Amino acid sequence: MFAYVVRRVLATIPVMAIVALFVFSLLYIAPGDPAAVIAGDQATPQDVERIRASLGLDRPFLVRFGEWVWNILRGDMGVSIFTNLPVTTMIQQRIEPTLSLMILTLCLAVSIAVPMGVVAAWKQGSWIDRAVMGFAVLGFSVPVFVVGYVLAYIFALELDWLPVQGYTKFEEGFFPWLENLILPAIALGGVYIALIARITRATMLEVLQQDYIRTARAKGAGQTSILFLHALKNAAVPIVTVIGIGIALLIGGAVVTESVFAIPGLGRLTVDAILRRDYPVIQGVVLLFSFVYVLVNLLIDLLYTLFDPRIRY
Amino acid sequence: MDRRNFLKGTAAAGLVGASVGLTGGLAGPALAQGAAARTLRFVPQANLANFDPIWGTQYVVRNAAAMVWDTLYGFDETLTPKRQMVEAEQVSADGLTWEFRLRPGLKFHDGTPVLAKDVVASLTRWSARDPMGQMLKALQNELVAVDDRNFRWVLKKPYPKLLMALGKNSTPMGFIMPERLAKTDPFQQVSEFIGSGPMRFKRDEWNPGARAVFEKFADYVPRDEPSSWLAGGKRMGVDRIEWIIMPDPATASVALQNGEIDWWENPITDLVPQLRRNRNIRVDIADPLGNVGTFRMNHTTTPFNDLKARRAVLTALSQEDYMRALVGDDNNLWKPLPGYFTPGTPLYSEEGGEILKGPRNLDAAKRLLAESGYNGSPVTCIVAQDQPITKAQGDVTADLLKRIGFNVDFVATDWGTTGQRRAMKNPVGQGGWSMFHSWHAGADCINPAVYNAIRGNGAGAWFGWPDVPAVETEVANWFDAPDLATEKAVIGRLNKAALDNVVYAPTGFFLSYQAWRSNVSGIVKGPLPFFWGVSKS
Repeated sequence: MFAYVVRRVLATIPVMAIVALFVFSLLYIAPGDPAAVIAGDQATPQDVERIRASLGLDRPFLVRFGEWVWNILRGDMGVSIFTNLPVTTMIQQRIEPTLSLMILTLCLAVSIAVPMGVVAAWKQGSWIDRAVMGFAVLGFSVPVFVVGYVLAYIFALELDWLPVQGYTKFEEGFFPWLENLILPAIALGGVYIALIARITRATMLEVLQQDYIRTARAKGAGQTSILFLHALKNAAVPIVTVIGIGIALLIGGAVVTESVFAIPGLGRLTVDAILRRDYPVIQGVVLLFSFVYVLVNLLIDLLYTLFDPRIRY
Repeated sequence: MDRRNFLKGTAAAGLVGASVGLTGGLAGPALAQGAAARTLRFVPQANLANFDPIWGTQYVVRNAAAMVWDTLYGFDETLTPKRQMVEAEQVSADGLTWEFRLRPGLKFHDGTPVLAKDVVASLTRWSARDPMGQMLKALQNELVAVDDRNFRWVLKKPYPKLLMALGKNSTPMGFIMPERLAKTDPFQQVSEFIGSGPMRFKRDEWNPGARAVFEKFADYVPRDEPSSWLAGGKRMGVDRIEWIIMPDPATASVALQNGEIDWWENPITDLVPQLRRNRNIRVDIADPLGNVGTFRMNHTTTPFNDLKARRAVLTALSQEDYMRALVGDDNNLWKPLPGYFTPGTPLYSEEGGEILKGPRNLDAAKRLLAESGYNGSPVTCIVAQDQPITKAQGDVTADLLKRIGFNVDFVATDWGTTGQRRAMKNPVGQGGWSMFHSWHAGADCINPAVYNAIRGNGAGAWFGWPDVPAVETEVANWFDAPDLATEKAVIGRLNKAALDNVVYAPTGFFLSYQAWRSNVSGIVKGPLPFFWGVSKS
């Protein structure tokens, strides 16, 4: 197992290298010019040229790429073209809100979706099942920003229960932290709940047909025990897989959610950087997201062994 | 679902329930009452992504910088430059030597005094980036500090607009920084933000894209006169100003109604009716100088290198179509603009504007296009979709050009790409372009000195590179004009020459709103948000 983990961690290095090359190349060939954005609309072409030169954007691809890789290897992600702040500082400023949002969404989604899927499978064909599936379709279909606006309208504007925007650090208290994040987490969690609930239901339906479930019933096991101990554990592998894949959904959804609720997270940082062509920031954030995604996949693979002892690495 | 319509729907629904206002549950984050009244929470037009107002000339940077750095002179609401950091000035009879004396007691935010050598370094850096500054630099014999409070500017030729250059509000403004910062290459960012104005920038609380914080500078010495735009006593009514960046207008609208923010610089038109009906919110025009919509053609490539093709566009162009696309049904927000200069300002002129007045003549436009010899080659329209103003104009233009008979190649892109592509001088089909849209702040269209887009100096001109000697002659005449009457006459001729040659096609004059909580007072209309004199109860 240990050797496997080491192998997988080492395997992230070529993956990250490919991601780095891909991102850098893509940005190099993509249209757009940060110098033009910096110079402003009234600037002359000569001003734009001078700014481009001062940023080193007029140098050849290989020189810039080599310099960037060398800096990355030394732990230096560079400096934002616009803010003049180190990319690592900007990521540090933004990582807590995004992590908080993703963790809360994950907890919320799993704690709601898994029981929903289990109950829907148990009551297959009943109104409960239809209601769960109806919710799943709705969760998939309604865009995150629509859910966000509706929630903000009801809970912030109408009821005045929760703030509509911003983020309070966890260190300033759990409840202030939760106040700011609960609406975004619900908005972002809709798609995720729908996805997990559907997969849980489908997998549970299959598992519930198995002989060992009949055996459990025959020996007098209770319904709760059958559903959550016997069936759910055996259905866990695909569910955990979907939860892992869904992290990518969360990362994408966080961009919209952070914008709607004005949360200063990595999603907004990414969008702002892309619109301004702030290359060092884009490269840094994409590398970070890639790394997180690779790690999440590793974690999911390791979790398989917990749920299915037959799996060995 | 159309997001914009959804917003409007939500806004309409909000009206119905606005008075319900149940309270309870978890209380929102709150400052202590006294602290809250001393803190102003402001949503700016855009993200403050950098904070060097000479290096980055975006309006949002200028707006924040105006709190932090003071200027030698400042425009008042009549667009007259008034003394600000300067106590007195003297000009020699031949107009070549200017001597200035600084007010006593001026301090930078690090506690050091503002000295003449700081001013000299600041003006030197500014003059490398500012069009008027560049002209001054070309005329300059010397700019030297005489002693701690006095400096001298000696020119080779009189420059009557000198005080205007030092007090104007168009970017970059002549902000005064400590010498050690002002010696930074004007094409590099400064490394510190040591100001000379009434508010201090809290760099430790700056989270670009999310928040910028400013605190009152206790040692700032305001002038005795009442404030008027950038002139007069800049007395702060609050101790702390928080800029909260909100990319989503619907969120900002709810936050303003909830009292989570105090002042929103640019509410979108769709949400204004809802804000107006809330008795806790005031809505008014933000900037009386407004904006000028711009349809910029490339004078160096086909088909718009031919004057007849350019005039064909102007003949058929309906400014009302453009303005409706921008501001909807609100007639308070737009005016036709048969000229180039900002309505309501001293140099506004309609001379030569007949081509933009009266019913639009599509047939005449088609005839002009045929006479131009246009052969149906693609007309590449670069339209930034991420800027509502350019997107709306682009949609109208695509329809207009097709109706005239142009073969439209509509390139939907973003502003960053537009900025890069419009600098390319290649032929269309090889990366070049035929037209793009932009807009100019009215404050930048009050005279030729601050108005790059009006210039017709060929390769040195703004993107599109019009070469119109008649315009350049009048620009030179304006700089030498001794009085307002002469200036007006010159600008009339300039306006006509620019329209006759279609330097660019103005698509109209439009305004925007600002909104604030009713417990905030002292907000004035102006080309930028002025924070002095603003207080909260």
